[in-house]
Amino acid sequence: MSLAIPNGLDNTVEQPGQRAPLVLGDTTYHDITETVCQVAERRPSTGWVIGFLISFALLQWLTICILYLFYVGVGVWGNRSPIFWGWPIVNFVFWVGIGHAGTLISAILFLFRQEWRTSINRAAEAMTIFAVVCAGTFPGIHVGRAWLAYWLAPYPSLNLWMWPQFRSPLLWDVFAVSTYGTVSLLFWYMGMVPDLATFRDRSKNKWRRMAYGILSLGWSGSSRHWMRYEKAYALLAAFAAPLVLSVHTIVSFDFAVSQVPGWHTTIFPPYFVAGAIFSGFAMVLTLMVPARSMLGLEKLITIRHLDNMCKIILATGSIVGLAYGTEFFIAWYGQVQEEKFAFTNRAFGPYWWAYWTMVTCNVISPQLFWIKKFRTTPWIIVVISIFVNIGMWFERFVIVVTSLSRDYLPSAWAYFTPTWVDWSMLIGSFGLFFTLFLLFCRLMPVINMAETKATLAKQYHMAHADDH
Amino acid sequence: MSENQEKKVHGIVAEYESVDSLLDACRRVRDAGYKKTDAYTPFPVHGIDKALGIKPTHLPWIVLVCGLTGTATALLMQIWMNAIDYPYIISGKPFISLPAFIPVAFELTVLFASFGAFFGMWALNGLPRFSNPMFTDPRFDRVTDDRFFLYVDSKDPRFDEGSVQQLFNETGGQHIQSVIDDDSSSKIPKPIFAIWGLIVAFSVIPLLIVLKMRVTNSSSPRFHVFYDMDFSPAKDAQQGSTLFADGRAMRPDVPGTVARGEVGQDMNFLTGIDMEELDRVDSPRAERLVNTHLNPLVPQDPDGNDDDEATSPEVSAQAEAAQEPSVMDTTPWLKENPLDVDRELLALGQQYFGIYCSVCHGLNGGGNGLVNRRARKILAQSWIPPSSLHQESLYEDKYPDGKLFNTISNGIRKMPGYASQIKARDRWAIVAYVRALQMSQNASIDLVPQDRREEILERQREVEQKLEEQAEAERKAEEERAKRAGK
Repeated sequence: MSLAIPNGLDNTVEQPGQRAPLVLGDTTYHDITETVCQVAERRPSTGWVIGFLISFALLQWLTICILYLFYVGVGVWGNRSPIFWGWPIVNFVFWVGIGHAGTLISAILFLFRQEWRTSINRAAEAMTIFAVVCAGTFPGIHVGRAWLAYWLAPYPSLNLWMWPQFRSPLLWDVFAVSTYGTVSLLFWYMGMVPDLATFRDRSKNKWRRMAYGILSLGWSGSSRHWMRYEKAYALLAAFAAPLVLSVHTIVSFDFAVSQVPGWHTTIFPPYFVAGAIFSGFAMVLTLMVPARSMLGLEKLITIRHLDNMCKIILATGSIVGLAYGTEFFIAWYGQVQEEKFAFTNRAFGPYWWAYWTMVTCNVISPQLFWIKKFRTTPWIIVVISIFVNIGMWFERFVIVVTSLSRDYLPSAWAYFTPTWVDWSMLIGSFGLFFTLFLLFCRLMPVINMAETKATLAKQYHMAHADDH
Repeated sequence: MSENQEKKVHGIVAEYESVDSLLDACRRVRDAGYKKTDAYTPFPVHGIDKALGIKPTHLPWIVLVCGLTGTATALLMQIWMNAIDYPYIISGKPFISLPAFIPVAFELTVLFASFGAFFGMWALNGLPRFSNPMFTDPRFDRVTDDRFFLYVDSKDPRFDEGSVQQLFNETGGQHIQSVIDDDSSSKIPKPIFAIWGLIVAFSVIPLLIVLKMRVTNSSSPRFHVFYDMDFSPAKDAQQGSTLFADGRAMRPDVPGTVARGEVGQDMNFLTGIDMEELDRVDSPRAERLVNTHLNPLVPQDPDGNDDDEATSPEVSAQAEAAQEPSVMDTTPWLKENPLDVDRELLALGQQYFGIYCSVCHGLNGGGNGLVNRRARKILAQSWIPPSSLHQESLYEDKYPDGKLFNTISNGIRKMPGYASQIKARDRWAIVAYVRALQMSQNASIDLVPQDRREEILERQREVEQKLEEQAEAERKAEEERAKRAGK
């Protein structure tokens, strides 16, 4: 029944006329079920427990910092005139950007029939949702009186007697990010239902069976259901694709619609979207490369998958580098004094260190992926993707802080210094992210089993076709 | 499947090992004319719709309607909220500025369409459904793992147990079985009920508290979860402060401050005193007066009620204001109003007199304003009744315009100064109006033209009569009160 594809096969080699296999080894449908389910069914490994405890502790620290912020006020941050956005907005843009790779993998690669997405989309979508949770936290607490954040919603208020201002990009942002979070959640959950049914059918424990039974909504695998399900999935993918582009476009409007030098540019939307995909793929790799070896998923998440993602990082990294160059060119070509100053100040002003960290990490480090050796060696991939993550955080720092710290009024210029609360919240947001992600690894199917089986079925089909 | 009958046969199911054998079987079953069939697979199988004859879904239409609803909702919402119900003027854009409404319209289109796709799909599939006779057979658990099942329903008009079984056998189906009712208990376990009940109970508590707060009255101050900006750290008037050497929280004007509208006006106009004359008779005092106007921060020596404009600490100012005007008033007051007295000025004076003076002095200047009446009614101990402006000592010849102006500016006895509230010009207008009032109450009838005298006298009699009646009524009420108090 099974079709033997050797474990050690190098599936990154292109063979003309043949599709590279995406599931390696002597794998059957049942093996896929076993491989994925064992991640959640076996006892948690020591590594998982330690990782979870650390993340959970950081999450608690984040909670304490947020309560402290509520108690004392936004003065606990380093945000001072004129840099009122500071790290909370840097972190917000950083995390929203991270989320984009998940939707890109699940929606855009789906629409382009890139089958290699099947074994990584689930984890990437989970990453999207957890990143959006982290992202949503920051503007929520940055509004100052977070308990009044619901004022952003267009509801008939009996106290305010007024409505939100719909010509403001900040309000568009509220709609964009919350729509994005909601649709990503629907998409993720819907994709998981058949796999949750697998969990249900494998559970020995009555309570576990009941919990997964409720979550899987009574899924039976009926082909009528599958037909509508696939239609709905394709439709959701078709919506999620423009949605993901719109979200970071609107995030960039927060900056571009203002008049601050260095922000007021039309290049922002495409540049932000490319940067978001870039950072998101880096985060997927940072997570998936260790996860695939720790959870024993090498047969399903193959070197070819990593290789493909590295290529996307290379492409988007180059776009980002081009955007940096274009910004400088336009600043010079436009001959607006403030713009020229803003960019000279970025590269050679007081924040030169942040700027050159960004350039090194975002422009230079991904160029190493031109070399195949770097794209196929897991530990190098992790190192480079961590550099990209750092670089992309610095990109947002450079945009937010350098522009705000020196705008039109020299007498108001200031230098931003983060406080311990800023640091704690940045680190704590990683605690939140990893707590959710580690829980996901234990409780939910980390790989889309149904889709991977469908990919395997195609592989069988093609192999049989060759036999004839 | 609402049949109450136990062990009812719903249909027949067979198991297949591979996609190809399943597809083959599907085609055979379809060609045999069965309509109520279904295949169960661990993943979506390509081509099974055709093999089984499944009609395409109309889900996309539902999604289209939802998406358009989203667009319309967003546009109407934004137009209603920002252009009709609460029109905002933002950077000169029209109220209905469509380009600015596009992002939210797009997001809501996607949101509604996604809800349509998600919930529509589950609804069309008849899910969630937690009880399904298919699951009775434990072998069916493998449908989500690696086995493929084909099912023919007993409601199919061609259904016949024997021939279906034969068909399944011919196509290589294994473990051919009848699907029977699940006879396991369909009751929800008690712990789930208990947990659910607890969640509901606890979530109702805050709502009940809110409801109770809304329908009951309380005399204690409102409970502040967050202080917001309800309590300002700013000092109230008259509060002390350790921040300044003089211990006051209220700060006097900075030296050299000149009130709006008083730039370049001469000292005579601002003080009501003939400064040249004063300089001649008492030059140190003239100098002090000028200094107080220029440097209100520096305390000046109090000097009768001539001292000007809220200068020295309140205590001495009050003490000084409370003094009776000295008999030997040597101040060279201005004898005449420096403004041209015309109808307009009198109207202005009347307006300000009505606003500031009448509450104590009464609208006619008789000294019986609302405050006075109230003070007498509550028998306020420290109340000094306001003067009637119609006493002779306040007539122009004894109480020059400049002095009247000074009294309005700086107050006298209990009366506070009004310099900080009424502009100099308006104070002079009040002076003019007071003179008119005085004349109105004490003019001789000879000043009235011959033909109108009778009319006025008639009216005067009426008023006097009314006043007498009123006084009588008051006296009676007073006696009554006294009687009652005596009891």
